[in-house]
Amino acid sequence: MLIINRYKVLVVLSLVCSVVGMSGCSSLGVEPWERDLLAKKEMALTSAPIDASLDDHIYFSKEATSGGRSFGGGGCGCN
Amino acid sequence: MSNMVKGDRVVKCLARKGGFTLSFFSMASLCEVLIDTDNEALATELGLIAANEAWRIEDKYSRYDSKSLCSEINSKAGQVVEIDEETFNLFEFASQCYEMSEGTFDITSGILRKVWHFDGSDNVPSEKSVEAALQLVGWDKVSYSANSFLMKKGMEIDFGGLGKEYAVDRAVLLISQRSNAPFLVNYGGDLAVHGTRINDEPWQVGIEHPSFDASQSTLVTLRTGAVATSGDANRFLLKDNHRYSHILDVVTGWPVKNPPNSITVAAPQCIQAGFLATLALIQGADAENFLKEQNILHWSIR
Amino acid sequence: MQLKAKKTNLKAMLTTASCALLGSTANVSAQETWQFDTAIMHYAEVDRVSATEAIIAGTKKFNNDEVLSLKLTIDALTGASPNGATAQPTPQTFTRPSGNGQYNVKAGDTPLDDTFHDTRVQLTGQWTQPLLKDYTVSVGGNFSKEYDYMSASLNGNVARDFNKKNTTLSAGMAYAYDVIEPEGGIPKPLSEMVVGDSNDPNFNDDFNKTRIASDESKSTIDLLFGVTQVINRQMIVQLNYSYSTVSGYMTDPFKIISSVNKNGESQAYLYENRPDERTKHAFFGQTKYHFDSGILDASYRYMTDDWQIDSHTFDFRYLIPFTNGHFIEPHFRLYTQSAAEFYQPFIAQDEAKPNFVSADYRIGELDTYTVGLKYGMPLGDGNNLSFRLEYYHQTPKDNGTQAIGVLKEVELYEQVDAIIAQVTYSF
Repeated sequence: MLIINRYKVLVVLSLVCSVVGMSGCSSLGVEPWERDLLAKKEMALTSAPIDASLDDHIYFSKEATSGGRSFGGGGCGCN
Repeated sequence: MSNMVKGDRVVKCLARKGGFTLSFFSMASLCEVLIDTDNEALATELGLIAANEAWRIEDKYSRYDSKSLCSEINSKAGQVVEIDEETFNLFEFASQCYEMSEGTFDITSGILRKVWHFDGSDNVPSEKSVEAALQLVGWDKVSYSANSFLMKKGMEIDFGGLGKEYAVDRAVLLISQRSNAPFLVNYGGDLAVHGTRINDEPWQVGIEHPSFDASQSTLVTLRTGAVATSGDANRFLLKDNHRYSHILDVVTGWPVKNPPNSITVAAPQCIQAGFLATLALIQGADAENFLKEQNILHWSIR
Repeated sequence: MQLKAKKTNLKAMLTTASCALLGSTANVSAQETWQFDTAIMHYAEVDRVSATEAIIAGTKKFNNDEVLSLKLTIDALTGASPNGATAQPTPQTFTRPSGNGQYNVKAGDTPLDDTFHDTRVQLTGQWTQPLLKDYTVSVGGNFSKEYDYMSASLNGNVARDFNKKNTTLSAGMAYAYDVIEPEGGIPKPLSEMVVGDSNDPNFNDDFNKTRIASDESKSTIDLLFGVTQVINRQMIVQLNYSYSTVSGYMTDPFKIISSVNKNGESQAYLYENRPDERTKHAFFGQTKYHFDSGILDASYRYMTDDWQIDSHTFDFRYLIPFTNGHFIEPHFRLYTQSAAEFYQPFIAQDEAKPNFVSADYRIGELDTYTVGLKYGMPLGDGNNLSFRLEYYHQTPKDNGTQAIGVLKEVELYEQVDAIIAQVTYSF
């Protein structure tokens, strides 16, 4: 029962945060011509996908957590 | 050095330090494409791509070529002419230029050359003849859709103010789609660069003074984007000690006062740089301030 | 005529106008080229496991914003990993997972099983394309095979842009099916490991008595919901929530737990057993910020599951570009997890045998940190070369279990050091 309560709180909390955040979202952002920096490949959220997939594989094998950024790692018999 | 012949149009290939230079003639200019690669076959292929595109644009939009689409449109003034997607897009861009310049950048202004002959003589036209010519000038007198175009009989369109810069940007698009090699495209002073050179070296370009006075040339260092130059090129009229520059204010029909001898503008794309350089020139004495206010990188020679 | 002091932004209007002209005029068929990334990585723990992994990935962008990416991964594992048993002040002998032979461990050493020499091949494909205005869909699949393990998965994702592409919402789902077929078969949970002479004619019979199947499988369903928001010209933020449920065989058939007497001396080794259900929730937040020239990438992930494991991951990268096009990027990662509720470093002989138990330190209480550096350079022609060197340190921790007898004299939570070295070439 404790488990359910704990994550229920967290889920509700983050939903609230994102609703609050979203309402302020329309004032955030840039015009299409202001995307010069954001368009750089180094500014992509996953700017080095090969590094990310190699690291994901290492940490999936050595730790108990996987994924979060994208779909969980796996696909191998290492954990 | 090798030549590839296409009719009487030739593309020459010369080796240089770090790569090759491909050169050819188009749109009344010496056109060059500098490519950083040690693969000569690739360089010549890319040079041909640029040349063929430049010649294609020239054949389609040059008003000096009687077989061009531009000449067809001009000869059919007063009737509806069918146009394609590329022409429609160019007209859309010209429309934007017309709006942004508050009417001073107008591709229907070519007619004015019929009354103004900038041959260094004192043949300044009369007010009446300028007025008459102005009746046949004005983008607001034109109507077009995605596949058709109509202007008043007697009017003329001239892609001269956009053609070369458009060809530069198209060359950049086509070459960059075909190869990763860094390159520079220079069509008679309207140029653009693409790619990162080894050690992130910039390209160094000299902008010539209109009077070809080497001591007054400007050295421009470019890593990205494009540069276009608009200028006097020694075309003017001299009467009563007053020098009439060949830059015409399309709204009044008369030359702009005190434009710089030459304005060079840097922008992400050549067609943008070309428009801004022409627009700045039209500001006359105020050219440099105008560009400063808009935060546009430029060099001027007076 | 002079233009009055213009309030309108010429640059902005021009950019939009020329984009329309040069973006849409594609009357010459565009050459679509492949972009390749290749990498080799070596992971080496001190005195333990080493792995070498090679990747070749290709991405092709088509005219209408469609993207195809394909990736081939090959990795090879060698070395020894802990089998879950505790160290003892006396030497120990264990039977290999296949039942073919034994191995010995010196007194005081953490028992490591060096049976694993495995090569794995993995193929990944992903197709992304725009769908209607503002929507992007992506589907992909993954297939991985090694000597005793097979995994196949499918994934799908929809994203929608809002607010001039400043906000993007996405939802995705993935399904994976894994089969494990270990060489010695699946051990009976909590049964005793048969340790003896494998040449003895009775050994095989005894060994087989501890086996209940030749293979097992598990299914995983993942759901991922995310929002990406551009904050300003220099900053972008992403928040994700993921839900994962796994059902099936999650026990490690190669891992055992030491059953010790009142004096901490090992009396038997029991095969571990994990629950056949696991539900995880993860919350992930990332921000990228472009300073004058440097770029910061900072992220945090919180994971909680019904095995009672909670974890926190902090990751920081700072990219420093040089004027010659080279760059250096320091990296720091911090990770901490709490133990699974069925984790124990050992079992007391007279304790009631629990349903689920495992001594695998990777689901115990664990702290890790990574410090690294990446160096990259452009090679002209659009090609890039980069080098990455990282140091990874794992500190397994005491989850509160009291060490008894001789176990107080041995290292129950041995720390692990590893080096990660990688070279990437993109062209």
